[in-house]
Amino acid sequence: MQSQAPSPDAPLIRTKSLTRRYGSVLALDSLDLELEPGVIGLVGANGAGKSTLIKLLLGLLAPSGGSAEVLGFDTAKQGPELRQYIGYMPEHDCLPGDVSATEFVSHMAQVSGLPAGPARERTAETLRHVGLFEERYREIKGYSTGMKQRVKLAQALVHDPKLMLLDEPTNGLDPQGRNDMLDLVQRIGTDFGVPIILSSHLLGEIERVCDHLVEIAGGRLIRSEPMAELTSVTELLVVEVDGDNSGLRARLRQAGLSVTSESNRLLVSSDNGDGADDVRDLVRDAVVELDLGLVRLEQRRKHLEEIFQPIPVRDGADDA
Amino acid sequence: MRDAAGSIYDLGYQGYAGPRLGRRHAAWTMYVHSMRLIFGIGRPFSSKIAPWLLLGATYMPAVVQVGVSSISNSEDIELIKPEEYYKYIQIVLAIFVAVIAPELAGRDQRSRTLSLYFSRALSREDYALAKYFALVTALLALTLGPQLLMFIGNGVALDDLGGYAEDQWNDIPAAAASAILISALFSGVALAISSQTSRRAYSTIAIVALLVVSSVIAISMVESLEGNAGRYSILISPLQLADGLTFWFFGATDQPEEPTAVADIWGGAYALVAAAVSVVCALIVVHRYRTIDA
Repeated sequence: MQSQAPSPDAPLIRTKSLTRRYGSVLALDSLDLELEPGVIGLVGANGAGKSTLIKLLLGLLAPSGGSAEVLGFDTAKQGPELRQYIGYMPEHDCLPGDVSATEFVSHMAQVSGLPAGPARERTAETLRHVGLFEERYREIKGYSTGMKQRVKLAQALVHDPKLMLLDEPTNGLDPQGRNDMLDLVQRIGTDFGVPIILSSHLLGEIERVCDHLVEIAGGRLIRSEPMAELTSVTELLVVEVDGDNSGLRARLRQAGLSVTSESNRLLVSSDNGDGADDVRDLVRDAVVELDLGLVRLEQRRKHLEEIFQPIPVRDGADDA
Repeated sequence: MRDAAGSIYDLGYQGYAGPRLGRRHAAWTMYVHSMRLIFGIGRPFSSKIAPWLLLGATYMPAVVQVGVSSISNSEDIELIKPEEYYKYIQIVLAIFVAVIAPELAGRDQRSRTLSLYFSRALSREDYALAKYFALVTALLALTLGPQLLMFIGNGVALDDLGGYAEDQWNDIPAAAASAILISALFSGVALAISSQTSRRAYSTIAIVALLVVSSVIAISMVESLEGNAGRYSILISPLQLADGLTFWFFGATDQPEEPTAVADIWGGAYALVAAAVSVVCALIVVHRYRTIDA
């Protein structure tokens, strides 16, 4: 059925054997994916098919085979209808220089289907949300990279999309800028409740803001799992103390625990049959006896970096 | 700035429950936006100079004719005839499209805004056609506008607009038809060229060169080649097409020495070829935007 509004019952995204070829190159190979609203991380090496998948979901590329449904719209047949409800932030520069952010974002809102009045109102509001104030009346060409990224984010948010596709939103930003941008993305995803697909080659970013992870490699789906399962609790206790920890290590080993060192920390296996609480007590008592200051005692969680091997990371590179 | 930003973020987010007007509205927005871009509206003063000067220049012959009419107060003194109007301003029209087309189709590729447009509520075809029709509409202000001014001005100068309009009524559809075809033709040729590259200077030079060189070649072929091949080769030049179709719509012929008079082919051929070239060029523009990487 052709529809004008997003279907509330449909999954956020559903692809069936979604395939895309460029000539003889298979960019996306029979992808079956079903995703519910959330903040979804999309990871994969350069050329893994991330950008192809995003363009297929936007209805900008026609599938060579299979189908994709986004918000209940068929991407191949209902592109313009679907795109009223999608915000897209490309990786590359895409802003004209000689207009102000206000003018540009308001124009973009109208091209997304909003009438002129609401487009203007929402522009002012959206630019505030992304942290652009007086400078929004100045020409974009004078903006810093961080400000330009905020304008790019604003144009993807201004029409109150039901799905945002963000392609490497922290690209080109300094550490503080990255931090701010990730805070914004997280706020939009959780506080504003806008479902997000965040494509990034930095696993730390994905881990920080996403609650679901999709990995593709060589055009194939490797995994689609909730983040909580991927970064589940391990059976290692992390122990960090003030000063030298060799005495403590010896003491714990004496007590029959398996202990390894990791830089200035000790990793203690809590799986000794007696349960983790006893191990914690042992560590506490040993620290007290040795008169050390306990800085950290916590159950270690897995990090995405440990799951991904080889690590699909190459900083600053373009995704083909 | 950062601290201020942190506190302002907390204003809370408002969803949008109002109307979403979809593809038609998006295409209309593009059309209006392109018109504003053409005339530099809402842009710095420097963007307004060229379009408005050229626009003004196309009205000069009309102003001269109306001046002559009002001084002579006679219907017979027609210094500038409507069927000859575009011969006076064709170079202005050529410069106008050569300067403006790269702003419309070319600049968008330079700033890479296409990904933002194509990820919105319109199709690539809508985008391309909105630009094309915006330029056609803008050109009507330079083609039909002066004709209408001259028509009304002549009537007013004679103190008998009603009588003049009755006598010259046939000029109106002829002026409208020729203006529309010429606008479509020039817009098509210019956008078909400018959309191929993001380099403005190349486009501008290519457009002027194509219009002028094709005219020179057509004239020399008409004069040097024997028979139909020579006569019909006049159809390769958009400028000559503009002349030929205008005389045909007004039911007139040019001075004996002029190229279209020398070629002496059926006038409808100019109109048909101009229409065909316009359509082909519009399709080239659409094809370009359909396949461009964004």
